[in-house]
Amino acid sequence: MIIAESLSKTYGPKRAVDGISFTVAPGKVTGFLGPNGAGKSTTMRMIVGLDRPTHGTVTVNGCPYAQHRSPLTEVGALLEAKAVHTGRSAANHLRAVAATHGFGRARIEEVIEMTGLQTVAGRRVGGFSLGMGQRLGIAVALLGDPQTLILDEPVNGLDPEGVLWVRNLMRELATQGRTVFLSSHLMSEMALTADHILVIGRGRIIADASVADIIGRSSGTTVLVRSPQATELVDLLRGPDITATSVEAGLVEISGTTAQVIGETAAAAGLVLHELAPRKGSLEDSYMALTADAVEYHSASTTPATSTTDPALSAAGTVTEEQQ
Amino acid sequence: MSTLTPTATPRGATPGPAHPSKPAHRVTFPRVLHSEWIKFSTLRSTVWTLGSTVVVMAGVSFLAVFFTARDAFSSKTSPEEAAPLVALLHNPSIVVTGADLALLAVAVLGVLVITGEYTTGMIRSTLTAVPRRLPALWAKALVLAATAAVTAAGATALSWAVSLPTLSAHDAAIDLGDPQTQRILIGGVLYLVTISLLAFAIGAILRVSAGALATVLGLLLVVENLFRAIPADFFRNVSPFLPATAGHQITATQATIEQARATSSAPVLDPWLGYGVMFLWVAVLLAVAAVLLRRRDA
Repeated sequence: MIIAESLSKTYGPKRAVDGISFTVAPGKVTGFLGPNGAGKSTTMRMIVGLDRPTHGTVTVNGCPYAQHRSPLTEVGALLEAKAVHTGRSAANHLRAVAATHGFGRARIEEVIEMTGLQTVAGRRVGGFSLGMGQRLGIAVALLGDPQTLILDEPVNGLDPEGVLWVRNLMRELATQGRTVFLSSHLMSEMALTADHILVIGRGRIIADASVADIIGRSSGTTVLVRSPQATELVDLLRGPDITATSVEAGLVEISGTTAQVIGETAAAAGLVLHELAPRKGSLEDSYMALTADAVEYHSASTTPATSTTDPALSAAGTVTEEQQ
Repeated sequence: MSTLTPTATPRGATPGPAHPSKPAHRVTFPRVLHSEWIKFSTLRSTVWTLGSTVVVMAGVSFLAVFFTARDAFSSKTSPEEAAPLVALLHNPSIVVTGADLALLAVAVLGVLVITGEYTTGMIRSTLTAVPRRLPALWAKALVLAATAAVTAAGATALSWAVSLPTLSAHDAAIDLGDPQTQRILIGGVLYLVTISLLAFAIGAILRVSAGALATVLGLLLVVENLFRAIPADFFRNVSPFLPATAGHQITATQATIEQARATSSAPVLDPWLGYGVMFLWVAVLLAVAAVLLRRRDA
């Protein structure tokens, strides 16, 4: 359980975290989303006492991190890959960290095995790939068999097998009743891993809700309709809230109504439907919509949030003509 | 595949959600010390620096003894020139001549022990494991001081051993039973240990390897020598109180000190007072490092 109360961090004139309050509950995976520079890492660093809050407090499992007698059994943290001396081997790094809490050799070997580092444990960390460094960081986080895990971009640099492994591990740890708090900028990854999401932008919490709620808040569901009589169908459906976008001949994307209404309208008029597919807004769409105002570093070609989920569809969208 | 096995859970405690704090795994100072020892001993650079300390110190001491003896007893040396050289040879300080160069090795070690953690990011692992922070600083300083002491003692013993044949040949073998000789030999070790802690404290304050090395070596090699060389009263009066100059007195014989007093109007510190001044410098710098470590973001 992590509880932050009006937590702020100011670096010179810049307010990195601006009075945020949130609770990360045990028993589920909580995702922490935000654009670059939104304050994710700063917040995580304050949780484990690396950065001192300018204002406010944050406690883990009931008290500030630094006051725990046995911090690594309370919290396992991966804050950046390679927070390791490059001249030391992975196994010796684990030994050094384990020694502070008296964790035995057996536990070190366990985490090496769990993270798949057996073959490289004796090598110096300086030569590790990002993914290997990430696995070592996760091994350190797991050393104390902690109640709470805090991981900053854990899948960064991992291969697909590693991504899957982290996803399953996080889900399993949460099922065991642990608190799992992970940040990512990969929205799709969050949709698969997290139960609950905190969205942060410009140092403030923009959303604090379950994944389902966040997706539901998206600009609205769209329905993809394939019909040889698409134009007639769109004419029948015409209404103030309804938008229809033609994707290609005989394929329209309709928003502002439900698949049920469209299906019934088509049946009543005797129109043929080849496809009637409701598309949920993706987490990514909702996220883009939520953070559109809060993005600190805009890239030149930032496109506004559109309700497209499928790259093929969005490519086709370039030839879209508004029908309404 | 990834069950977190309950090995870290003490017997009797129920695994699962609300397991209580595990007293078996508290962070204690001996554990932090053990961790710092593992960190210290698993880096090649520390092993190399310590080895070079021994080689440099014994090598320089041997060369000093060997060439002083050769010149003192050479037929080309006039009796007037030979007298001070013979006196030098009979001065027990000659055995620890190498400390003047070995101090660079221990200073580099002292800096890198701490700045190496900052430049690699290791410090964040250290401070996450020991969030109270100060135990990690003290443990690190203790490991450094202890290894510097053992290394300096070994280097002093080796310096003595390699000088012995030359000194014995000229009937100048130092008397290990003499209290002043003992003070000089032990003092040389203390001097090197304290230099390493001085460098460590500066490293902990500046946190950047390059900056800290430049500061420490600049202080030891440039600033202190400059103060000693500039013949203005201000510099000559301050110079004896600079850390390495003051600490160096611990390796001087009383006779050398009296001689210096006779020829100079500037203050000349007694051996232990000089070492005390150096120790004070280190104590103050370590205190500053401790306060900053508690305060600063890692």
